[in-house]
Amino acid sequence: MSNERIDALLKKYWNCETSVSEERELQEFFNFGDVPVDLQRYVPLFTYKQNHQVMKLNNDFEKMLEASIRKAERQKQYVTIKIFEPFIRIAASVILIAGIGLSVYYFARQNNRVFAETYNDPGAAIQQATSALDKLSRALQTTEEASLKSLEQLDNLNLDWSEIDSLSAEIPPHDPDFKKSTKSENL
Amino acid sequence: MSHDKFHRIILPLKDKLFRLAWSIVRDSTEAEDIVQDVFLKLWSKNDEWDNIGNMEAYCFRATKNLALDRMMSLSARKTENIAPELESGIFTDHVTPFFKLVETETNTSIYRCIDQLSENQKTVFQLREIEGMSYKEIAEALDISEDLVKVSLFRARNKLKELLSDKQQ
Repeated sequence: MSNERIDALLKKYWNCETSVSEERELQEFFNFGDVPVDLQRYVPLFTYKQNHQVMKLNNDFEKMLEASIRKAERQKQYVTIKIFEPFIRIAASVILIAGIGLSVYYFARQNNRVFAETYNDPGAAIQQATSALDKLSRALQTTEEASLKSLEQLDNLNLDWSEIDSLSAEIPPHDPDFKKSTKSENL
Repeated sequence: MSHDKFHRIILPLKDKLFRLAWSIVRDSTEAEDIVQDVFLKLWSKNDEWDNIGNMEAYCFRATKNLALDRMMSLSARKTENIAPELESGIFTDHVTPFFKLVETETNTSIYRCIDQLSENQKTVFQLREIEGMSYKEIAEALDISEDLVKVSLFRARNKLKELLSDKQQ
């Protein structure tokens, strides 16, 4: 690139009249061209430009960003839960109270069925009760008759009750010291 | 990540936004963090994307504002810190040799010259010289007029010319 061209471009550059491509041309010259001594002072400016144009983020930036986004979204969900926490508590209380209430209601209804009236007509109830008591009375009477019959049969056996009583009298009453006393006498 | 627009328009801007953030905070870890924060904010506001006319310009503005905020808090933290040399060693795990070289050069003459520009001049200079953006694009990105872009760039270039000439003498 001729010195005249460089001077012209530089003049335009300082006056902010250069296009982006002309500025790139200048940068190329100052970084890789044969820069005259009187223009050496501007080299750091174009070196700065060259170095900073290639500055890039780390390759793992996108991965880190993705992880941060996921973390932020989890926190967002947690915040939503936090906001609805009082409502969740109220809902849980209502469900619990309703549950207990329903349980008590159905339990009471089941109990009532046990003690519930089965007869609408008192006459029929008395009749049923009388027939039940009558059945019971007849059963008791049958049992009594059977007992009396058994006793009668025993009487008919003509047993000598005094002999049976004497048998029971021969058996000595239980005495734990009896054996010990007989052993000591033998010695 | 499922939004097509995010992959198509926003994510490809990552390196440009990183360079813009770096030009303000001059720290690669911090700049990376800024870009990530900008993307996270954008992701969470996906229902507003259709209302944003120029997404690229919006991203540049968001990055610039966040970087300026971060730089303010960084400078506050640095003044509070008793042993800054200890802190600087904490977050340098993934800093590449290139960044180390660039960041050690921040005290060289060109950086000192750039430091003398106003914030607006620095940002305009960055978008034009490094990103090669047109005046119109810069005006949209920074939400200023094209004339102001030209004036800022003119002042920035001439200030640098003057400072570099002074250093030579």
